[in-house]
Amino acid sequence: MRDFEDYCWRELITDEVRYIYSPYVRDRSVGTCPALLVIHPALPVDGTWRAAAQHLVETARARAVPVVHSLPPGATPWPSLAAREAEAVSPRPVDSAFFSSDLERVLTRLDVQSLVLCGAPTSAAVRASAVEGKSFGYRVAIAEETVGDLTSMLHQLALFDIAHKYGDVMSLDELLGQPTFSAPPPR
Amino acid sequence: MNPDPSWTDFIDAPTRALLASRKIAPFAGRRLAVVAVDLYDLVYDGGPKPVAELIESHPASCGEYAWRALPPTIELFACARTNGVPVIHVTYDTRLETDAQTVHPTNRKKRQPDLALYRIKEELTPLPGELVIYKKRASAFFGTPLMAFLNELRIDALIVVGESTSGCVRSSVVEAWSYGYPVAVVAQCVFDRCELIQQASLFDLHLKYAEVMDLPAACGHLQGATESRRGL
Repeated sequence: MRDFEDYCWRELITDEVRYIYSPYVRDRSVGTCPALLVIHPALPVDGTWRAAAQHLVETARARAVPVVHSLPPGATPWPSLAAREAEAVSPRPVDSAFFSSDLERVLTRLDVQSLVLCGAPTSAAVRASAVEGKSFGYRVAIAEETVGDLTSMLHQLALFDIAHKYGDVMSLDELLGQPTFSAPPPR
Repeated sequence: MNPDPSWTDFIDAPTRALLASRKIAPFAGRRLAVVAVDLYDLVYDGGPKPVAELIESHPASCGEYAWRALPPTIELFACARTNGVPVIHVTYDTRLETDAQTVHPTNRKKRQPDLALYRIKEELTPLPGELVIYKKRASAFFGTPLMAFLNELRIDALIVVGESTSGCVRSSVVEAWSYGYPVAVVAQCVFDRCELIQQASLFDLHLKYAEVMDLPAACGHLQGATESRRGL
């Protein structure tokens, strides 16, 4: 895995900031029994994140990792990221996928113990969901290529905060290489 | 809004341009409350020094930033109390038996600070009768009775101060906004561990969830709330 700070925010931070945040540097991984939570944006957010997220979604399906969709009111999912018939869709009224939604109930019933997030915008719905996912006791992982925002600076700053405080940020290749990103063996 | 926002030096032009599509209504409320997040001794630990000088000895301290925010926060509390606006204090619940020891508010490396350092700073100490929220997670709302307090007090808008701007302040503001409250964040009364993250947080909160204002503007709102409370 690359160095903890060697991700999209690297150009924004000085050596002093790196040092100040050094107490947060730690090992990263995808937790056991993960679900992939696709956080659909309320308004379209263009970018390469969609293709990367699609690859992640397809890999999750191939590995029998449950895919759950968080959908804001009135939003139409980007076609390549839309839910398949058997996948849970959890409507959300505001930014966090957990707030006033049935997501916690869905995850409990799927016996999910950790989360991988993808979607948009990084600094709004993804970030709020990462913070609340952590608060609910889930280990949270994000592949930086699979989330996107209206500007790259919002994306970089949000992933910086998430990476240090709330979730394990890595590259898509690194995430797909995690042995835990797979369905648990049958009990 | 601040006429010359402090985030201008840190936030690039394309990102600042998003303010043109900002949808947050101007802050207003008739029954305000001040919510003061995590103003405990731990973040002042080591004194008003640069944070980088304190990392080894006091890794949770916000050093000079914490101390710089102290006088304006004292002033804001005084203004709220004078105008009959409740001050609700938020701190960490230090009882070990109320959480699994594997779960923490953030992913900072495990270390056990002296739990006595979660006492609210003396200059900001709750007065008799003021409410104190003890929390285990980033947001002041998560797993706490804060919503019930706000409903019982018939609060309709919140002024949020405290630390860290990118962490517990931000998550509390996002959740207050999610619950439907107009939220004001007082720029001089919130702080973080570095200026980039402080300014980035203020900008993003102002863009999406709140109105960032300076201390005189916040005091103006507190004074304005007095008259509307008089009739209650």
